[in-house]
Amino acid sequence: MRKFLDSSWRVKLSALIMGSGQLMYGCVAKGIIYILIEIGFIAYMVIRGFSDIVGFFTLGTTKADAWLGTVGDNSVVMLLMGIFAWIVVAAFIYLYVLNIKSACDIEERVSTGRAPKSFIDELKELLDRKFYITVLVLPVVGVCIFNILPIIFMILISFTNYGGSIVPPELVDWVGIDNFKKILTLSKFAPTFARILGWNILWAVVSTALNYFAGLGLALLLNKDCVKGKAFFRAFPVLAYAIPGFITLLAFKFMFSYGGPINQMIKATGTAPIGFLDLDAKWMARLIGILVNCWISVPSIMLLATGHLSNRDMSLYEAARIDGATPFQQFRKLTMPFMLFATTPVLLGQFIGNFNNFGIFYFLRGGLYMDGYFLASDTDLLINWLYNLSIDNNYYCIGAAISLIIFIITSAISLAVYVKSPSYREEDTFQ
Amino acid sequence: MMKKLSVGKIIDATWTYALLLIVAFIFFFPCLWIVLASFSKSGSIYSFDGFFPKSYSVATFKKLFTDTTMYNYPRWFLNTLFVAVGSCLLGTFLTILTAYTMSRFEFRARKTMMKTTMILGMFPSFMGMTAVYILMTQFGLINQLWGLILIYAAGAPMGYLTQKGFFDTIPKAIDEAAKIDGANSAQIFWKINLPLSKPIIVYTALTSFTWPWSDFILPKLLLKEKDLYTVAVGLMSLDETEFARFAAGSVFIAVPIVILYFALVKNMVDGIAEGAVKG
Repeated sequence: MRKFLDSSWRVKLSALIMGSGQLMYGCVAKGIIYILIEIGFIAYMVIRGFSDIVGFFTLGTTKADAWLGTVGDNSVVMLLMGIFAWIVVAAFIYLYVLNIKSACDIEERVSTGRAPKSFIDELKELLDRKFYITVLVLPVVGVCIFNILPIIFMILISFTNYGGSIVPPELVDWVGIDNFKKILTLSKFAPTFARILGWNILWAVVSTALNYFAGLGLALLLNKDCVKGKAFFRAFPVLAYAIPGFITLLAFKFMFSYGGPINQMIKATGTAPIGFLDLDAKWMARLIGILVNCWISVPSIMLLATGHLSNRDMSLYEAARIDGATPFQQFRKLTMPFMLFATTPVLLGQFIGNFNNFGIFYFLRGGLYMDGYFLASDTDLLINWLYNLSIDNNYYCIGAAISLIIFIITSAISLAVYVKSPSYREEDTFQ
Repeated sequence: MMKKLSVGKIIDATWTYALLLIVAFIFFFPCLWIVLASFSKSGSIYSFDGFFPKSYSVATFKKLFTDTTMYNYPRWFLNTLFVAVGSCLLGTFLTILTAYTMSRFEFRARKTMMKTTMILGMFPSFMGMTAVYILMTQFGLINQLWGLILIYAAGAPMGYLTQKGFFDTIPKAIDEAAKIDGANSAQIFWKINLPLSKPIIVYTALTSFTWPWSDFILPKLLLKEKDLYTVAVGLMSLDETEFARFAAGSVFIAVPIVILYFALVKNMVDGIAEGAVKG
């Protein structure tokens, strides 16, 4: 900032017309690029930027009227384009600051008697010292458009009344935190929310723990010295791992269905078939879900654990054996601490993945709506409810509010665990 | 030379093998069931004798590829292949480059970017689906396989952490040496680090291939025409009477992936082990 205030009129001119300072010091290419950026930005703002930003606040003022032939405002598109306009403005401000900085730099070089960097040299720098800029432009733009923009959009949607009967051509409005109040208090949503949340937490904890220890146990079992033909035994879990998840899930659904083989065997003994995944099969269906999830997730944890186990320092085990430690003590005092250290991030990822495990119950029981639940069933997780609400039934704003709540829960848990974990505190020691 | 086996060791080995056999059976049985079902003569699951079909033939496979009026499986298969290969190429490219720069360069926004990706990863995966849907309508990419590739590839660099871990283990001294010899950063990457990172490239390619190969949420949302379905969406539309067709379709789409995994499982374990934090 100081530099800018002390600078000559040339630099100050480029605060008004971007690139003019660069032009005057003879950096033609750079100057032209900056001028084009400014022209482009002004053109965008005049053509649609301003109205997009206004639209962001009003979310539309004229309603479509077929009788009068007025084309109404589409609030949702306006919101999206409004966010986009903010992003463009932010990008422009960044470039603007960059422009003044570069003008100052050029002036400094000239005043100390050096020639300003040539355009070619700056381009070359992009392949060398500043290679990271060249490389990261594409991923960053992609992530911004397809990940950040939609997430911002949904966060904002949770503060509007979009959904239900209020979809374009109806006009959407900002409603503050009404949706969150509704979820926590309204008799339509609150009981369902509480029930699903409770089951969701139970599910995430149980299945993460079960998968983790089963996977670790399997890896240790395969790692034992007495096992010959490790590759052969490892092939079966890998087979399970390789089969796409939706196939496994659909197959299990068929297996437990009324006509499925398990029920046929039950019928053969003369008993009535059991509706494993039926409406009233609450705990049975939940148990099947947990076991099926185990079948799907254990192999990947086993592979991961096998990879980590080969990194162990075996001399520690030798020492422990000489000191007379039993295998169980070795597991508890050596293997577990090491594995927890090495896999905390993975464990956390597993927990969040399970918390938001959409596929399991979508395929096993999808589409069931039950009494006592609003558009959900007793095996549904929050994420399934979210799907039922927003994609199947157009409750967009409630769905968005729920996803925000899911985010707050998962991020609070992971932050608490992650910050305490040794693999975070000592991140750089192992690099 | 034979070591004398103590009784304890024999018991130990016995229960180990017993357990391993049980595990193998648990993992193998459903796969076997599906494979046998795909060769069943009558299609419906109701005509099965317990777990297994009463009679076998390859008719279902023939039907799968010839009877395309209702369920155009060959078409779905090609769609899936196109989307998966496209996202694999683009996604691997972007992920490897991102991971490499995150590992090798110190720049101001680095920590911020790492934290941002971590936070973004905690949002429910299809929280933004409605927005993505509206965006794609705005771009005119609904009912376009290209649109899917774009979304998969754009999301791929978010999972760069394992790859970054791998690049962290390649000694930086090699880079320094090359720099002294006059190579610039781009050359160091292409000529020195890339050839060294084969295991992690294989790992990345495999994961970014299998994800679109087996995803069903995005295609279901973005592809509304039956001819544009991917296999996942297509197979979901089959019911119990078409069980054999479902099984055959599943076998056919699972086999390439299974072969890939078995060919590359060693690479994967190495990739994970090297990308991991060393204890």
